[in-house]
Amino acid sequence: MDLSVLVQLLLNGVVIGVIYALVAMGLSLIFGVLEIVNFAHGEFYMLGAMLAYFLSAGMGLGYWPTVLMVTALAASLGYVLYEALLVSLRGESFERSILLTLGLSMVLQNGAVFLFTTTPRMMLTGLTYRNVTVGDVRVSVLRLFALGLGLTAFAALYLILYRTRVGKAMRGVAQNREAALMVGIDPRAVSRLAVAIGIGLSGLAGAALAPVYAVHPLMGFSFVFKAFAIIIIGGLGHISGAAIAAVALGILESLVGGVLPLVMVDALAFIAMIAILLFRPQGLFGRGVRV
Amino acid sequence: MTRGGSLRTASVALGAGTLLAVPTWTGNEYVLALGVSFATFSVLASGLNLVYGYTGLLSFAQVGFFGIGAYTAVLLVLERGWSLWTGAAAGGVLAAAVGLVIGYSSLRLSRHAFAIVSLSFALLCMIVARDWVSLTRGSMGIPGLPTPTMNLPGGIHWRIAKPADFYYLLLGFACAAQAMIYVVVTSRLGRAMRAVKLNEALAQSQGINPLAYKLLALALSALLAGAVGGLFVFYLTIVDPSIFDFYYTETMLIMVIMGGPGSFWGVLLSTAVLTALPDALRFTTDLRMVLYGGVLIAVMLVFPGGLGGWLQRRRLARWRRPRSLPS
Repeated sequence: MDLSVLVQLLLNGVVIGVIYALVAMGLSLIFGVLEIVNFAHGEFYMLGAMLAYFLSAGMGLGYWPTVLMVTALAASLGYVLYEALLVSLRGESFERSILLTLGLSMVLQNGAVFLFTTTPRMMLTGLTYRNVTVGDVRVSVLRLFALGLGLTAFAALYLILYRTRVGKAMRGVAQNREAALMVGIDPRAVSRLAVAIGIGLSGLAGAALAPVYAVHPLMGFSFVFKAFAIIIIGGLGHISGAAIAAVALGILESLVGGVLPLVMVDALAFIAMIAILLFRPQGLFGRGVRV
Repeated sequence: MTRGGSLRTASVALGAGTLLAVPTWTGNEYVLALGVSFATFSVLASGLNLVYGYTGLLSFAQVGFFGIGAYTAVLLVLERGWSLWTGAAAGGVLAAAVGLVIGYSSLRLSRHAFAIVSLSFALLCMIVARDWVSLTRGSMGIPGLPTPTMNLPGGIHWRIAKPADFYYLLLGFACAAQAMIYVVVTSRLGRAMRAVKLNEALAQSQGINPLAYKLLALALSALLAGAVGGLFVFYLTIVDPSIFDFYYTETMLIMVIMGGPGSFWGVLLSTAVLTALPDALRFTTDLRMVLYGGVLIAVMLVFPGGLGGWLQRRRLARWRRPRSLPS
């Protein structure tokens, strides 16, 4: 095996892993704060990518304004989603949250199929064919941008959670809702913010990946199930665990897919998840059993 | 017999009579196709109702059992020369065995873990059917399934070729399956399952082993889903990985949620309505799924008990109403 091919696969794996991480961290944040498993999370990734396509191909916006606008719109959509649907679920059962968000996912996904058909679209920008070459390794600029955006979002999320008051409040609600209420934290405001950040990250992931892969209405559907597997492997509600598991999965998929042809690459995440649930139910990085 | 009871008996008899007579009134293939679809979905939805509505386990695995039954029956009939009957039965048994393995391994944790594992199981089934090309012929599937035949008692050789034949075959199986589920849910077993759903610790203190009842519900629903998959696939005349499509899961979930989890007749009624209505409105599949999603959100927000829960509440309200005593 050629070393440069290996480096290439590794790099692709890191990029896809960082995008997995953006989606999985949002899912994990929402689960941690609201105890809701958001089945519609992948659809916001899809909406982010579709929106990026229409802003850039339809309205001729550049790469950076598109990414910023999509992220901002996705975060505001998160606010609306929380106030319109999720607020009534507070303290409700796990099953009900799954069914409600599953309904939302069906509406968004099939609505998008109805409006735009399932034809994949390529988002072409001025940067599409630009590459960076180091030795024998060649990487497209857009993949590097996606990587950079992902790492920036990691850093921003870390700073919000660990360096701001509102982040502290969010972690407080995630640890103990009643106790947080007792010390004067408004769970509703905190939950709303968590949903907005989670959906915003998902939209950002869609916008970052839209110019790299084809955009179509069914792209969010398979993605969200992988994200479930990732947050279970990393430990439910454990955000950095989800990020590590996501990057590891991205690298593993890229290496296995590149080295051994015809292996069920898509099955890796689920098999790993089932193994984790059987032998270490709290996840790789979790402490207590919280599944 | 109470007034409600005789009304129910009459409407069930009327419904069954109408369903039996349909092919004699009309040879219209479209109507018969709706009937086949109703019969198939009624088995899937009632099985899910047994697992989710009565026992309280949210399961996404039902479609996996359905597809496992379909693939098993097809492979046994085509490659081993088994009859339709034994092939479908083997599909059901294999599905039930797989169900027991998944249930036993994930229910040790919690019902939440079960929901997630059942979802991944269904997705894994689809990936395996797509990628295990030497067995399943991959995403092209196995097309052109032969016309099945069945030896009936009395030496009649039944060739199941016309839509009306499939209609009777699946309707007959659905009736048998519904009768079986009805017997289970109205017996001691059904009461124990409800107890497990409502309060597991309390049920345990009454000497009920929750795991045993959960596994029983899961295995029975898997057996029926696998067998109906084995029969239905010969009507489709092709088996490919889309037999594991998430569409089936979403549809049967909506049927159970709208009919009311834990309500036998409510789920049957909503299955009939949801089979007929979108077709009558000439909706495309995308619009139908948008409609189903909207219904799911609305039911979750407005009436969490579904149709059955609403009827139950109305009945309770009627009992509680003060009545003037007969003088």
